[in-house]
Amino acid sequence: MTMLRPRTLSGRYARTAYLFLIPAILFFAAFFYLPIGNVTATSLRTGPQADQWAGLGNYTQALADPAVRHSFLVTVIFSVLVVIGSIVLGLALALALDQPLKGRVVFRVLLLVPYLTSVAIVGLLWRNILDPELGVLNRVLGAAGLPEQTWLNTSPLLTIAAVTLWQSVGYTMVLFLAGLQGIPETYHEAAKIDGADPWHRFWRITLPLLAPTTLFVSVMAVISGLQAFGQAYIITNGGPGDATDLSVFHIFNVAFRARDFGYSSAQSVLLLVVIVAFTLVQLRAGRRGEVTY
Amino acid sequence: MRKPLLYILLGLASLATVVPLLYMVSLSLQTEAETLSADAVLVPDSPQWGNYAELFTRAPFGNFIVNSLVVAGAITLAHLLFDPLVGYVFAKFRFPLRNTLFVALLATLMVPFFVRMIPLYVLMATMGWLDTYQGLITPFLMDAFGIFLMRQFIQPIPDDLISAARIDGASELRIYRSVILPQTRPALAVLGLFTFVFQWNEFLWPLVATTTPEMRTIPVGLTLFNQEYFTLWHLTAAGSVILFVPTAVLFVFTQRYFVRGIALTGIK
Repeated sequence: MTMLRPRTLSGRYARTAYLFLIPAILFFAAFFYLPIGNVTATSLRTGPQADQWAGLGNYTQALADPAVRHSFLVTVIFSVLVVIGSIVLGLALALALDQPLKGRVVFRVLLLVPYLTSVAIVGLLWRNILDPELGVLNRVLGAAGLPEQTWLNTSPLLTIAAVTLWQSVGYTMVLFLAGLQGIPETYHEAAKIDGADPWHRFWRITLPLLAPTTLFVSVMAVISGLQAFGQAYIITNGGPGDATDLSVFHIFNVAFRARDFGYSSAQSVLLLVVIVAFTLVQLRAGRRGEVTY
Repeated sequence: MRKPLLYILLGLASLATVVPLLYMVSLSLQTEAETLSADAVLVPDSPQWGNYAELFTRAPFGNFIVNSLVVAGAITLAHLLFDPLVGYVFAKFRFPLRNTLFVALLATLMVPFFVRMIPLYVLMATMGWLDTYQGLITPFLMDAFGIFLMRQFIQPIPDDLISAARIDGASELRIYRSVILPQTRPALAVLGLFTFVFQWNEFLWPLVATTTPEMRTIPVGLTLFNQEYFTLWHLTAAGSVILFVPTAVLFVFTQRYFVRGIALTGIK
């Protein structure tokens, strides 16, 4: 009998589908789409209560504001450093772990451990280690008669990028490892028979076939680099001066220390536009250059 | 490359990740004098277990722990409850606006948290939800990634299983609970582990959404403790160890799931 009423049946399943979806629709409306609407609305307003119409005033002000431009530049440099480090170190470690070695699981576990730690631990621990006066590294170097370091003063951005890598490199390594294991063994076998040395096999086979993984790693690293916050908040407080004034840290300060919700909202919308544009461009570039096995 | 060289490379890299964490443990057991002595102390003379007790008298650290457990636990449960259900709907149902809703869902993947931070703060302030568990929990009840993961996992389950159950007269909720859900256990394990660890470590939102020390989670409570008592590194280290141990223990027992989970995120 049900066979005779397919229309009603599919209608019934559609009702079930919507019934199951109600919590999700409410959640994403209330906690994603409503906030995006609100942040856009607030970005067009000014004043301590963000209730006076400002039009695009906040945007033109942000685009001309040297502090905003500086923090964006700092964030881009930070992200580029993290991306390069992720690819080079993550790939090197993955290539090493891809060999038939003893204790691979142990190495993999040890290298992944920092990825599981909170940015609070990473930040506090490395600030303690690297502190020019009280840090343990300088006390060890001093006791050994070696020159002491002041990296957090001399190259703060590079230093917090390195600390970020310390935490995340295990993650990129696992991604590259999965990519490497997806490359069919036959390509390497054939190249070996043709007399290609390991160096050539790496550049001509491994690297091109890893392109999708490399693209994914770089997209992820840029996106998380552009959103970095804890490193600046915990390790450097944006300093020295404004040398590590990462964008989200800057937005946080404008919003919650200076209490300017209109101006900070405009800045976060601008940063969102940059991130979305960047993601779409990279994914499109990746699709064009896609490799088929 | 020759094998000894590989062992050296991996050995050095592993030391670089593990030694700082071991130093953190050592620091947590030192006296205040040892943390400052010119000759750096790497292994304390006599481990000061009392540091851990002192931490609880200097800050409401018991509250931090309970708060972290409640918030990360509730969010994880919500993900385990909702993500597979929504994933199932998008994997196995045909209904009007299905593609539109799915695209709208995936689009949220591109919305970083900082964009939601200010409006969510205003929303929570308006509702009087700052400094409450519901304020800390509700913004993270579900996410598109978890739903997408579950959808990918449910899609290969044969439709015939569902049709057969329908012919047998099983209710739709029963089909989901008894036919679909049991098959998704490996994916649920990955989802639960990742959600718990990420929420346990979450820093920005608990920093923004709490004002009283009693409502802080461990990462935020510890960081603000360190700002207040910035010379008491042995206590900060003890707090870091408390924050770290649960995730480390969880990881050691489930590292296969973690590795598989990370690899899954890389597969298109």
